[in-house]
Formats: sequence, C-alpha cells, structure tokens
Amino acid sequence: MAATFVGGFNWPQRGRSWFCHSLRCALLLVTCSGHAVAQSEAEDRWFDLETHGFVSQGFIYTTDNNFLAESENGSFEFSEVGINFTKQLTPSLRFGAQLFTRDLGRLGDYDAAFDWFYADYRFFDWLGIRAGRLKIPTGLYHETSDIDVARVPILLPQALYSERDRHYLLAHTGLETYGYQPLGAVGGLDYRLYTGTVYFEATNPAPNVEYSIPYIAGGRVMWTAPIDGLTAAFSALTLRADQDVQLAPEVVQVLQGYGLLPAGHDGSLTLTLKIKAWGPSIEYAAHDLLIAAEYARTRTDYENKDEPQLDPVIFSDTGGKPPYPEKAEAYYAMASYRVTSWFTPGVYYSVNKKLGLPNRRDRHTHDLAVFVRYDLNDHWLLKLEGHYINGTSNLDGKLNGLTTSSGQGDDRRLHELTRIWGAFLVKTTAYF
Amino acid sequence: MRPCRPSNLSTRAFERRRLLRFVPCALLSPLVEPFAGVARADEQAGFKLIVHPHGPARAASRELITDVFLKRVARWEDGEAIKPVDQRPDARPRSSFSSSILRRSVAAVRRYWQQQIFSGRGVPPPELASEEAVVAYVLNHRGAIGYVGAATDTASVRVLRVR
Repeated sequence: MAATFVGGFNWPQRGRSWFCHSLRCALLLVTCSGHAVAQSEAEDRWFDLETHGFVSQGFIYTTDNNFLAESENGSFEFSEVGINFTKQLTPSLRFGAQLFTRDLGRLGDYDAAFDWFYADYRFFDWLGIRAGRLKIPTGLYHETSDIDVARVPILLPQALYSERDRHYLLAHTGLETYGYQPLGAVGGLDYRLYTGTVYFEATNPAPNVEYSIPYIAGGRVMWTAPIDGLTAAFSALTLRADQDVQLAPEVVQVLQGYGLLPAGHDGSLTLTLKIKAWGPSIEYAAHDLLIAAEYARTRTDYENKDEPQLDPVIFSDTGGKPPYPEKAEAYYAMASYRVTSWFTPGVYYSVNKKLGLPNRRDRHTHDLAVFVRYDLNDHWLLKLEGHYINGTSNLDGKLNGLTTSSGQGDDRRLHELTRIWGAFLVKTTAYF
Repeated sequence: MRPCRPSNLSTRAFERRRLLRFVPCALLSPLVEPFAGVARADEQAGFKLIVHPHGPARAASRELITDVFLKRVARWEDGEAIKPVDQRPDARPRSSFSSSILRRSVAAVRRYWQQQIFSGRGVPPPELASEEAVVAYVLNHRGAIGYVGAATDTASVRVLRVR
C-alpha cells in the first residue's frame, strides 16, 4: 500500500492550468516592471535578467534488475533539459522560474513543467519570505538534487535522494520564511521554515483513486561553523498524503453483503498516510576536498477514519493488519577530491532499510558507488559511475514486470528480484 | 589551500604532478588546514578590497566579507544594499581573493553559485572583465564592494581594511 501510494506522480491538469496562468501573470509582471527599472538604470547589471540552462544525456546499464529505466539491456532514457530565469527587481525583491523536462524510464516523457517559480522579498538579512513553487529544503542536497553540474556523482545517494520520488518530493507550492544570522566567532546560522501543498499526478495510479498531499510543513537549520568549509544541518518535515477511493457499485454491494459497509454507502472513503521525517547532516567542503554524511529517519502512520472495518480486506496480504506504523532509516557517507581543474573522483556508501521487520532483500538497499567527473571545459562535463548494490528496496515493481492482476506495479513482490546487482552509468551535461 | 603553479611548469605538467599527489593531499588536508595559519587578506595577498568612497564601510571582518560575496548578508550596517562585484574566474586577483577571504577555490565558489542558481536561491555577483570596470562599478554604487590587484590605482575609491 505504501509503495503504491508513493509510487510516483505528475501534475494534475487542474493544478497545471492554474499554475501556468499564475506563472504567465508573474512573468508578465516581471517583464513589465523589469523593463521600467532597466530603463532607469540601463547600465546597471544588478537589474539584468539572469538566464541559465543545462542539457544532459545519460546511459544506464544494470547487470540484473531494471533500475530507473529498462536498464538490463542498457537504456538511453536518461535525459534532462532545464532553463531558468531570475530577475532582481530591487535589492530586496527577486523573481525566478525554471522550466524543466526529462525522460527517465517511465518518468517524465519530456513533459515540460516548472520545477520552481517564486517571488522572494528579503526584509532583513535575518528575515525573508518566498512564495510560489519552492524547492523543499531538506538535508544538504535536496534543493540541488536535479542539478548534475552542482555535484560530483551522477546519482546522489539514493537512500536519501531517490530519483523515483523527485517529481513529487522536489518542491511544494506555498510559503517559506528564511534568514541568515551571523554569529561572529561561532560562524553563522541559516534557517528555513516552510508550509504548502504538493500538486502531483500518480504515474502508477490505481483505478478510481485520487491522490493528494494536502499539506507539507518543515524546516531546516544549517550552521556554518567557524572552521572553513564545515557545515552541519538538521532537517525535519511532516506531510499528509491522501488516497480518495471510489469503490465500484458492485464492490459496495458485496461489502454491504458481508456487513462491512452500511446500507446507502456511496462507496467513497479516504485513506491517509501521515509521514514524518527528520535527520542531521554534516559536510566538510574546503578547497578541493568534500566529505559529507547524512542520516534520516522516517515514520509513516496510517489512518482510515471513514471505514476502519475495511482494513482486514484492504490489508488481506499482511494478515488483515495494516503494516503501520512503518519506520525506516537511511544514511550515507560520501567523499570526493578535486585532483585537477578537470578531474574529480569520489566514492559513497549508502544504506536504507525498514526497521522492526525481519531482514529481507526488499527491505533494504546497500549501495557502494565509485564515480569520476571530468570537466571538459567551463560549460561541458562528463561523468562515469559504478554501483555495487545489495538489496531491492529502491526498485520499481512495474519496471521489473511485477504487476497485480489489474496491471499496476506490485512493489510487494520486490523480494523476487536479484539481490546483488551492479549498475553502470555515463552522463554528459552541457550548461551555461 | 590550492598550491600555486611554479613558473617552470606547464599547466598540464603541474596538474599531472597534483594528480600523483592527490591521495596524501586528500587524506592530510583536513588535518593540516586548521594549523596552516591565516592568510593575510590584504595587499600582500595580491589584491585590495575596495568600496565606494562615501560608502558606509571602512573595515570589515573576513567572515563578513565572505558572507557578503556569498550573498548571505545583503545590507551594510546603515541599511544600504550591498552590491558585491567579482572579476572573471581566470583573473589572478580573483584566485587570491577566493583562497584568502572565501577560503575556497574559484571552482568551489562557482559550484556554490551553480547550486544557488539552479535551485532558485540566488544569483552570483556580476563578473566584470577588467579591473577598471570593477573600480568604475564601485564608484557608481554607494553599496558596492569589489577587489582589484594590489598594484591597481585605487585613488578614486576607498580601500577596505580587513579586520
């Protein structure tokens, strides 16, 4: 159930049209006001429109199991294109937006969408506010997890930065307050608090089910230590994810026959997951050396307020009992060293596992990765990466041919896949 | 701190030598750095920090200058908006400024800004093509702060003292 629930989403049509309309208005406003300001300060670069972009093409091959794409035979379905615009209207007010499209196996299919867009007003150094679709500030790299150029490996440790979850856990639509407070001899403190909702559309939806995340809220405190390059952070978030189920009339009839639904029931019910996640992070990035380690813990609670008597039917495959609360932990350690201006090798080891359950291959993933980054010039890079992986918890059931009778991906059967497998990736990115 | 290239070595030969030494460097640098001593962030380091002659700042700590150039801090004490200005990545004063004040290589700073840009968090200071352009920019903006080579004529602007 949980795996199906978080199995992947895209933008809903209604949310997309509202959002596109808002964005058109915002861009028009930016263009008009920016023009006026630019006329008055024609030679002031402060007010220029900043434009940046990137194009990536990758290749994935796995020795066993399909990972992200149909990789057992090798796949080039690993492409990304993005372009962003930022406009500093005044020293305190800024607008920005990024248009992004990708193809990653079953995800993306080159549907263009706005990764983020915002209006940002900074009252003081210690207090600013952003509104719009904003990257979720969790951990060290979540905000930059889609930016190949900003990191050394091709894939960030998947235990914490899963590519499968990117399209619905990358950003929220709402508000964020932020600030930075210098602390003199003890460094500085960067802090963020945010709340909003997440618009998405399931990529692996069950029939007659609508998915939504009514709210997400969280924050991150990041301490810049007085030791150059040393940063420590703590992040926490909570979100609620709903499945609004509409049972077919014949199913309602059968359930009523067993006395599980009252007479006259319209067949609608809402199943809710409440997810809490938290964890510390530490990074040492001085000169050419980068060392990072992070830990995250999640707890997922289940709620069926409408018809709890249906739980034995819904969870028939786990003995009629909801397998909740579900607890999991994830952690990694990573190091890279920039040997020359064009060559940076690195390594990481990452683990995720479900807690409180007997050990099984689909309840954990241990991933040892080695990677190199070649900066061919200031606007073009090439990366190579190898993974030795033990476990199948990060895999996608549907991508590996594990489906239910209705054709949905069935992540409950991931234990049928090969336990130890390898992945090899190549990716090149051009950017400006 | 990134070592300087000896004049008798080509860039490629210098980088090849670094490649052979990278393992001990990688292992030792976190141990050595805290004891490496503080580089003097002034003219002896090969650059001068400059601000507007009538701007609010006369002296600033290295930490504050770092926060300014990474745009963590946006206003001087009197409320004036700070407008940092950079030089091109291959300019010699930028390399000196970056290692002495920011304590990061130019490449690491660029990577920081790539993260900020593509996550929508901010944009880097403008990169001007010449020292004259930096001086002119600082002269034209009361809140501006920039840096130029130690030998550059800075009579028209104020040289910022690093505390």
